Amino acid sequence: MPQGSIIGAYIAPGLPHLASDIAAVSWDALRRGFHQAGEHIHALQPDVLVLYSTQWISVLGHSFQTHPNPQGLHVDENWYEMGDFPFDLRVDADLGTRAAAIAASLGLATKTVNYHGFPIDTGTLVALRFVNPANQFPVAVVSCNIYAGQEDSLTLGKAVRQAIAESSKRAVVISCTGLSARFFTDEIAPYNDRLSQTEDDAWNRRILGLIEQGRNAEVLAMSGDYARTAAVDMGFKAFAWLMGTLDTPSSPGAVLAYGPVWGTGAAVVEYQL
Amino acid sequence: MADSGQILAGFLAPHPPHLVYGENPVRNEPRSTGGWEMLRWAYEKCRAKIKAWKPDVILVHSPHWMTIVGHHFLRVPHLAGLSVDPIFPHIFRYQYDMNVDVELADACFEETQKEGLVAKKMTNPHFRVDYGTIVSLHMLNPEWDIPILGISANNSPYFYSTEIGQEQMVKLGRATARAIAKTGRRAVLAASNTLSHLHYDREPELIEDMNKEVIFNNSQYQWDMRVLELMRSGHTEQLMAIMPEFMEKAAAEVKSGGLTWMLAAMGFPTTPAQVHGYWTVIGTGNAVVEWDLTHKAA
Ligand SMILES: [Fe+2]
Repeated sequence: MPQGSIIGAYIAPGLPHLASDIAAVSWDALRRGFHQAGEHIHALQPDVLVLYSTQWISVLGHSFQTHPNPQGLHVDENWYEMGDFPFDLRVDADLGTRAAAIAASLGLATKTVNYHGFPIDTGTLVALRFVNPANQFPVAVVSCNIYAGQEDSLTLGKAVRQAIAESSKRAVVISCTGLSARFFTDEIAPYNDRLSQTEDDAWNRRILGLIEQGRNAEVLAMSGDYARTAAVDMGFKAFAWLMGTLDTPSSPGAVLAYGPVWGTGAAVVEYQL
Repeated sequence: MADSGQILAGFLAPHPPHLVYGENPVRNEPRSTGGWEMLRWAYEKCRAKIKAWKPDVILVHSPHWMTIVGHHFLRVPHLAGLSVDPIFPHIFRYQYDMNVDVELADACFEETQKEGLVAKKMTNPHFRVDYGTIVSLHMLNPEWDIPILGISANNSPYFYSTEIGQEQMVKLGRATARAIAKTGRRAVLAASNTLSHLHYDREPELIEDMNKEVIFNNSQYQWDMRVLELMRSGHTEQLMAIMPEFMEKAAAEVKSGGLTWMLAAMGFPTTPAQVHGYWTVIGTGNAVVEWDLTHKAA
């Protein structure tokens, strides 16, 4: 059996504003970038999409979705007016189960989640709406453990990498995360959306600039500072997870789109491997 | 005013799903062999009192409906569905079915805006109610025969600072009290909060193994007792004064604002509160506490 491999990798935003039909310059640009990513993924015809979502929060270690067919209707708890998310996922439960076992063998606390009615998070559903609109590709989803640091997140990525290798599947990995996460806490007009702090904007651009140069190891080293200063979504752990899956390569990431969503930073980044 | 509304009582009503799990109600799918009786029996005493009062509505402020833009109120007349706890799906898969007091929601919305806060009405009928709201409400009234009003926990205590967050909760509490008064409701309040919140991140094989159920550390316990002692003696001013330190030292969930909201709505009562029970759940400190205002109002 040939070894499985990761044939594409993405950083993608997960706020439901992007799935709405509300027009805003930045949201439209992000949607275009997202669609572009979707087209590229479609061209790759992967066997599975593996997602890590900062909006699937776990507390008792790291969770892995292993229900073969989660179905339901999701509404975001904050942005319930941005639309409903009906879902009917095809989950690669074997991959999730194996990744959980490997992660446990590497010392992480893990849990597989296989329950009818389990809430699928907004980030996962937003990303899938753009990159898997026809539900063509099976998915695997892992949670963001709020207590995990960079080291554990790298290890979690490594476990996923190994599980993919063993599976003989061609996978695309998607790290669903925001960048700076300082929301506006008032109602805003979407067409007036901007980064809530210019310093956050500068930090986001600096990080994306390094990613564009393939200086991923440097980004990892700076992640702590970046997370603290720019209040990054879940401490930018999602990036560490992604680097774990890719073994921190020096490949550059192309920024397909960058801009604000309700004051926070969001980007679609594509690593071609 | 004879026809003006009234807050009958306020409850500190912690929401670990373990309490529902331990009780084995038909609405919850997983089965247990019991556990956490000290808290469940404490809740039973509250149930009896609430039944006797026949309130018009139970309001609950839940940290597991955390909102970024303002303070939100459930505003759909009827909400039902399956709630699977995202953290404890193995013990909480619960069929909920609740009637929402939408007139009171409108009044709360208006009064909250008058306080200068951002307020929102949640009007999406497909909205899934959070498990904090559901667990506290089940434990207070498992028959679900009293209308409810769910209030979100605005994340200002985390986003800005404890001080700004608590200030907002005081305003929200005042607004809630005015809304209850002007709609003529006889209301029960519930602050859906655990006390000390440091917890274990691995569970015993038998989830309800009470041999494994101990406080995370003694400092947490001492903080919980200090806070409960102030409640029991009616020293509400002192309680409010030490609350920020409690939040910091014990990672107390009351930081999310429910307790402050409730005490503010009740006008920071100096009536001694009744502690019906205290026990730990995966190491966190939980107490069921009652402020009975019916004598005061009579
Ligand atoms: Fe909680």
